[in-house]
Amino acid sequence: MENDEQLEKFFAQMKKQDEQLETPAFPEVKTRKFGFWIPAGIAASMSLAFLFVQEPTPVESVSPEVVIITLQEDEHQNQQFTIEESTFLDTWESPTASLLTEY
Amino acid sequence: MKSGKLDHILKTHHRDAYLWARQCCSFDEEMAKDVLQQTYLKILEGQAKLKDESKAKTWLFSIIRYTAIDELRKAGKVVSLMDSYDPIEIIEEIDGTNYEEIIKMLPEMQREVILMVFYHQMTIAQSAEILQIGLGTARTHYDRGKKKLKELITKVQIQEEYGK
Repeated sequence: MENDEQLEKFFAQMKKQDEQLETPAFPEVKTRKFGFWIPAGIAASMSLAFLFVQEPTPVESVSPEVVIITLQEDEHQNQQFTIEESTFLDTWESPTASLLTEY
Repeated sequence: MKSGKLDHILKTHHRDAYLWARQCCSFDEEMAKDVLQQTYLKILEGQAKLKDESKAKTWLFSIIRYTAIDELRKAGKVVSLMDSYDPIEIIEEIDGTNYEEIIKMLPEMQREVILMVFYHQMTIAQSAEILQIGLGTARTHYDRGKKKLKELITKVQIQEEYGK
């Protein structure tokens, strides 16, 4: 750095002049951080919404699929119809079965 | 690097960064403020990453310089990244205390190296890193810039003393 006095003096004066310059404020940057509370809040809201929106499913009663109509004779020889509803049939007799035996 | 630490580094160099931005923008204060904002945004958005903490100032100055070049281009003030050895002659009388006008008379690269070394107390090697040129080339800019600036200062002093 031979004979740089002239330059050093020049820059020292320039710096002194620049001291008058106002530095702009350092920009405050809001970092987009997802903390714990935001996802926790979203999860809680979603579970609450799920509970309220969900309708109770009706319990389906088993509908009778078979109607059994029988003709029975009581003690006075009177014929009476009895109608029963059931989901299954113990025995099944063809309505034309009598034709096979009586014919 | 954690954003808190990065924030601290930027705050530490904020004043120097502003002065350098201003020097890169031909001493235009408004443009310098814009350049600085854009620089910080680039850094905080992760477009520019600091790998070596010991080179924080060099890294920051380099981003500022390239951001300023982009801004000057947008403003229509085209700046060549290439060297310019053409001497600039004093055309009109300049006040000896108008340091900025005197500095502006130096060719681009010479001006930048001289400002980094004498104003910002950086080494020629650091200047070379910021300008992304070889050390030898930076040294040439430094020597020529120094010689040229001395001539300019002397010329201005003579002008002041003898009235042109």
